[in-house]
Amino acid sequence: MSRINEFYNFGYSALSIVEMEVRKIRHDSTELWTRGVQPALWLLLFGEVFNRVRDLSIPGYDYIQFLTPGVLAQSVLFIAIFYGITLVWERDVGLLTKLLSTPSPRSSIVVGKALAAGVRGVFQSLMVFTLAVFMGVNLRHNLLNVAGVFVVIILLAMCFSSFSMCLASMLKTREKMMGIGQMITMPLFFGSNAIYPITLMPPWLQSLSKLNPLTYVVDALRALLLTGDYSTIPEDIAFLSLITLVLVILASFSISRLLE
Amino acid sequence: MKAIEVNNLSKLYPPNIRAVDDITFSIDLGEIFGLLGPNGAGKTTTLKAITTLGKPSSGTIKAFDIDIIESPQKARQMFGYVPQAVSADGDLTGYENLLIFAKLFYVNKNEREKRINNALKYMGLSDRSQDLVKHYSGGMMRRLEIAQALVNRPKVLFLDEPSIGLDPSSKRQVWEYIKKLNEEFGMTIVITTHDMLEADELCHRIAIMNSGKIAVIDTPHLLKKSIGGDIVSLSLQESGLKLSIPDELGLLIGNDDDRVLISTDNAEIAIPQIIRHFENNGSVVRSVTVNKLTLDDVFMKYARSSLQSQGTIKDNRSVRRSFARRGR
Repeated sequence: MSRINEFYNFGYSALSIVEMEVRKIRHDSTELWTRGVQPALWLLLFGEVFNRVRDLSIPGYDYIQFLTPGVLAQSVLFIAIFYGITLVWERDVGLLTKLLSTPSPRSSIVVGKALAAGVRGVFQSLMVFTLAVFMGVNLRHNLLNVAGVFVVIILLAMCFSSFSMCLASMLKTREKMMGIGQMITMPLFFGSNAIYPITLMPPWLQSLSKLNPLTYVVDALRALLLTGDYSTIPEDIAFLSLITLVLVILASFSISRLLE
Repeated sequence: MKAIEVNNLSKLYPPNIRAVDDITFSIDLGEIFGLLGPNGAGKTTTLKAITTLGKPSSGTIKAFDIDIIESPQKARQMFGYVPQAVSADGDLTGYENLLIFAKLFYVNKNEREKRINNALKYMGLSDRSQDLVKHYSGGMMRRLEIAQALVNRPKVLFLDEPSIGLDPSSKRQVWEYIKKLNEEFGMTIVITTHDMLEADELCHRIAIMNSGKIAVIDTPHLLKKSIGGDIVSLSLQESGLKLSIPDELGLLIGNDDDRVLISTDNAEIAIPQIIRHFENNGSVVRSVTVNKLTLDDVFMKYARSSLQSQGTIKDNRSVRRSFARRGR
């Protein structure tokens, strides 16, 4: 009985944290809208130019189709990887102390925050979808596929936001977080299949990109939005979930170090 | 049963700074307990250890006979904590702040709404409850945090410097609310403060910490008494008389050319009697001044050694500056 209670309380706390974040977004959503600018630029500028290069895509799809899932994944990665900065800020204003002094388990607070990053990711997906429709990018838009995209995007956001929270509890300042964040997003992005297929990479980068969670995200997104070949999706989701679980556990243990 | 029992608590920071050095004390059920001390005395570290926000290096802490180091979650269910920095979330409304933290505290759903509305009303925040907290004044934010305690009803409420940065009237208001929480709900309250007036006003008992140890622990009244009472100083028409006063009026501690110094427990009551005594003996009292002892004096006495060490910081700085000049 008490086990069930614990599970219930855990979920309840995590969802309360999500509610907190959603309510904040509802009061001021400018951040969400400005986040839409970057993927738009990627698609409109980079995408249009590289659309002329034939070999960059996978057979049967033009480059802008190929690029859209990659840009979506990238823009959510950016949201998530800097999520720890919010945590540092909350520490500075005393909010984190108050969160951690509640009886809610620390892991539920981490999961709640990661899920809140996921909510932002879902909103980001909606914006990229809309953009794609306006640009006439042909994607598979049925409901199940879109739901599948949301699941993958939420996992992506949870994965990298908990990674970011681990980083925050080690680095402890916003300046360091900005620096490290910039430093790792580029290799993550370029070391993945987001803007070119893995087959074009030199062999050493190919093997590295197979360890990169972003590769699995983009792979799953392309299967859902372009090819309809779902054979690799279970593997993608399993890999992502495993990494996310490990990072959430790590972040739950390290988050209280921010207070020291 | 005690509300909080701390035994042999120590906290070490590497390499070998003893922020808290083997302290033992307890906090009674239903009292307002003050933790005082100069900056760096170890108050906040002690408070963090008790509220399970920082792990002690050694020692045990019990809250209502529950070992808080073994079961921190159970302990946090009984505690409310108001950190020194204003910790209400500015991007949420006052109502939302109370709601979310009530949820994270697992306040019973049927009670929640009623308690939130009552707390807002009680704290005079009802008409602003739908405004974002970042538009609140400092005093309103503090009141909101106390409202949180009314919603969550913790058994022990910890306040880290509750009135820091508030104007005098907001400060008074916050004190009134803290007293009410204690009197009406029987809440045990623990505060840390530098403000001796605040400690004197609120606390039933205080502990003065100094360099990681508890220098003294007692009621404000007895602490003041322990370093001698109020000082009454009189100037008489004729000087150089040989004087004596009865013991029940106080102790004659000085009699130089024009001033007579008398130490007494309670100056207000003693002054008329002292004047009458002198006039009965034929001396005319020209003027009286009183130096009432405050907790400041107590604080200065017990925190003295560390105030002296602040001098060495200044010395260090001047040494460093002179080195920098030479380097140029």
